[in-house]
Amino acid sequence: MEHMGVEPGRLSFSWISSAESTKFVDVVKDVTATVKALGPNNNFKKAADKVT
Amino acid sequence: MSDWEPKIASFLCNWCSYGAADLAGVGRMEYPPNIRVIRIPCAGRMSPKFFLAALTQGADGVWVSG
Amino acid sequence: MGLAKRKAIYVQYAQAVPLKYTIDKANCIYFIKKGKCGACKKICPTGAVDFDQKEEIVTLNVGSVILSPGFAPFDPTVFDAYQYAKLPNVVTAMEFERVLSASGPTMGHLVRASDQKEPKKIAWFQCVGSRDMNKCDNSYCSSVCCMYAIKEAVIAKEHAGKDLDCAVFFMDMRTHGKEFERFYTTAKDKHGIRFIRCRVHTINPVAGTDDLEIRYITETGELKTEIFDQIVLSVGLQIKPEIAELAKRLGIELTEGRFCKTETFEPVATSREGIFVCGVFQGPKDIPQAVIDASAAASAAGEILSEARNTLIKHKEAVTETNITGERPRIGVFVCRCGINIAGVVDVPKVAEYAKTLPYVEFTTDNLYSCSQDTQENMAQIIKKERLNRVVVAACTPKTHEPLFQETLTNAGLNKYLFEMANIRNQDSWVHKSNPELATEKAIDLVRMAVAKVALMEPLKEAELEVNQTAVVIGGGIAGMSAAKSLAKQGYETHIIEKGKCLGGQALNIFRTPKGEDIAEKLSGLVDEITKDQKIHVHLDSAITSVDGFVGNFKSTISSNGKNDVLEHGIAIIATGASAFKPSEYNYGKDPRIMTSLELDKKFMEKDPSLKKIDSAVFIQCVGSREPDRLYCSRVCCTHSIDNAIELKKINPDMNVYVLYRDIRTYGEREYLYKKARGMGIIFIRYSVDNKPEVKPEGEKIMVGVTDHILGRRLSLEADIVTLATAVIPNRDEKLANFFKVPVNDDGFFIERHAKLGPSEFATDGVFLCGLAHYPKPIDESIAQGMAAASRAVTLLARKKIHTSGTIAETMPAVCSSCGVCVSICPYSAPSFIEETARFFPGKAQINPVLCKGCGLCVASCRSGAIRLKGFDNDQIFAQIYELSKAV
Repeated sequence: MEHMGVEPGRLSFSWISSAESTKFVDVVKDVTATVKALGPNNNFKKAADKVT
Repeated sequence: MSDWEPKIASFLCNWCSYGAADLAGVGRMEYPPNIRVIRIPCAGRMSPKFFLAALTQGADGVWVSG
Repeated sequence: MGLAKRKAIYVQYAQAVPLKYTIDKANCIYFIKKGKCGACKKICPTGAVDFDQKEEIVTLNVGSVILSPGFAPFDPTVFDAYQYAKLPNVVTAMEFERVLSASGPTMGHLVRASDQKEPKKIAWFQCVGSRDMNKCDNSYCSSVCCMYAIKEAVIAKEHAGKDLDCAVFFMDMRTHGKEFERFYTTAKDKHGIRFIRCRVHTINPVAGTDDLEIRYITETGELKTEIFDQIVLSVGLQIKPEIAELAKRLGIELTEGRFCKTETFEPVATSREGIFVCGVFQGPKDIPQAVIDASAAASAAGEILSEARNTLIKHKEAVTETNITGERPRIGVFVCRCGINIAGVVDVPKVAEYAKTLPYVEFTTDNLYSCSQDTQENMAQIIKKERLNRVVVAACTPKTHEPLFQETLTNAGLNKYLFEMANIRNQDSWVHKSNPELATEKAIDLVRMAVAKVALMEPLKEAELEVNQTAVVIGGGIAGMSAAKSLAKQGYETHIIEKGKCLGGQALNIFRTPKGEDIAEKLSGLVDEITKDQKIHVHLDSAITSVDGFVGNFKSTISSNGKNDVLEHGIAIIATGASAFKPSEYNYGKDPRIMTSLELDKKFMEKDPSLKKIDSAVFIQCVGSREPDRLYCSRVCCTHSIDNAIELKKINPDMNVYVLYRDIRTYGEREYLYKKARGMGIIFIRYSVDNKPEVKPEGEKIMVGVTDHILGRRLSLEADIVTLATAVIPNRDEKLANFFKVPVNDDGFFIERHAKLGPSEFATDGVFLCGLAHYPKPIDESIAQGMAAASRAVTLLARKKIHTSGTIAETMPAVCSSCGVCVSICPYSAPSFIEETARFFPGKAQINPVLCKGCGLCVASCRSGAIRLKGFDNDQIFAQIYELSKAV
């Protein structure tokens, strides 16, 4: 992934059973925090888009 | 940048994580509103094409959960 | 309920079926002033108002009758000390329920009646009209009030915020239902709801205010005075006098609590043949139990009427499907408010308005409740009128409501797969309530994604398949046998797979029922009936070693004594039961005088002479139940121990019998036993989980130490026997769960389709559930659930044919490279190679639409891109991805 220019933190995998709502919430919080820390994903945007 | 909110493409398995997400709703548990759920029939449906597409189309993160 | 004004023409409630207006005769001017007014008749465009309608007497010829007349909440006016009639801020739990409801008089806004002020402190009083012989005649426990009070307190805090102070005043906390103990613990520890063990005597108004003052005694014996803004009376359930009258006319017997009298082994049969009963009239109970009863009563009625099945049936006319091939998409978007469940957080009009701007969207609207019957009819009309050919509903979750909306599409002549839901309740409004702006933004994104996907949806066909008319029941205990008996009586060949050497399960170990019936005798009668039944085939010493197939067409391998047999069946009922916990605490196993409840039962059954020599007996409750690592109540043990305590007292009236408990949970009419036990001089001592009793054999006697809460002192009891009421532990069977693809919870119990509305079936089609494998329960409830599982299974078996899903994989043989990855990877063996001799595409892959579950594994694994998953196709998922982050 890094080879393609994606920071590893942008992609998460997890396994949650349908009864584990608490785990679901914890994972959402984790994933969101990790992505937030990385900042906006500009790697794939064209130069023109970056201005906005 | 302070009010920047990421968008996270979230591929959830219909039978597992999607159910957990519904249950979290029933339990009124609060969590950050950044995920955008795409319901997939099973995590096996997932293909690298999807998360690459999501990242190139401007999603800030991708989460796959079975 | 008199909480708010309504018109003399009204709808009972928003989800009523049928959803029709009715005239309130007592308040209608036309009826009061004899013919004056009548404006409604003049104005009604369809001429639906008819003042001359008279009561009609219709005679029906029926083979059986099911009584489900329900209950009335207890009227607390008779309690003068609570001044319910005088003080506006003393309300019943039913009234409070309406205040919390989105469709209630305050639209779910939590305010008190006297001054519309938001309360800061609310108290609940339990057992109002229950467990009480002084002020009312209801000595039974109403079973549901503890749980509903906790629920109301949690919801009240949800509505009003964390600062709301909720206090529940109770005698025994009875959270004996599935997942209830966990809810109670969360309410206490996480939501900070106060639980105070005290029955409060009087409510006094605070002069000059609308507040209410109460005095109570704390557990440490301190007298306290506290002021509350509002007090909710947790009123009990009772049978209406007119129902008791009806029972008299029908000639059926009632209990002392005026409930319908039933036997443990025939839990839904009244004393009159052919008349069955379900719901609260059978005994106070909550929703899941009422649903189980209802299915059981249907089964009981079906058993005696099975010959007449389908003789009076009328067929529904199928709506012809409109051909939409080649049409440009015309999308309709329906955004649901779900009362305030969605609209309270998400800006619904804004979402609907936004949806209008999306490509191909021709129609948008918002609904108060999209799932109500009139909205459904209205939607079908709109689909026809606007010639819509794709529909998006932004509402709750497709997991529960997709089938309902798909039916609406079918009724409007549209293929049901031209539909998509945006989950803006469970996954949006409910979880982001403190962030309405971002929640609205999320809803907009989800709707846009759904619209993009639905535009690419195409009509899909469903395969039709036969349902094998044979049933398999796994587990030959009471529940499994009841299910098998019911299925056989309704005409279906049934196989019982029992791992043990004989039928009977846990019932073999129990002495008698709390109603006094001899279990061994009843059980052998049932086993006899099962073995003699031509349609029931019993496989002892057997286990299922593999399961192939799917609903209607299962193929299971049954291994008995080293021999393997393949059995084809249409449905399966899981009744794998549970067993008694063997504790390591209280010196169990080190002294034969320290035993479990079932070991004491064995002594009763064997008429053990040593029982006569006992001078002192101690029972310890909640051994292994209601503890952090097993956070559930085993439901049966309080009643069981009390019944055994009474039996000991009968053997020797001079015996000292002590029951050490945490909360006595003799729910329903089992409460009489508790009362009787106290009357007989059995001593009940409460202990707390962090200060457990100590059991030590000391010479001739066993010393039991316990701290008495009332005296606040450590007591030392001398006992000859100590009985431990140990937990009910499910026979956890991950393998079986895997075979049938059904879920198991943390405690090892199977997870049913719906905690309230689907207690006896799984989310997996064709697989049903009953008995202790679902949750601990006494024999009558196990039998009822066995019958209920059979009833649910019959709804499938009786259809004879079912339709498979349309969202399945399909190969494009022209692109296929015959690599075989899909054939080897599929967990359901759906793909195969087309025969070499075939005329078209020999050697290429094909997929059996019946076996395909639509998981998409093959699609992702196909290196040639030759497999499509209908309904979740690449372009459909890409469309969602592309729309995901578009700026609004």
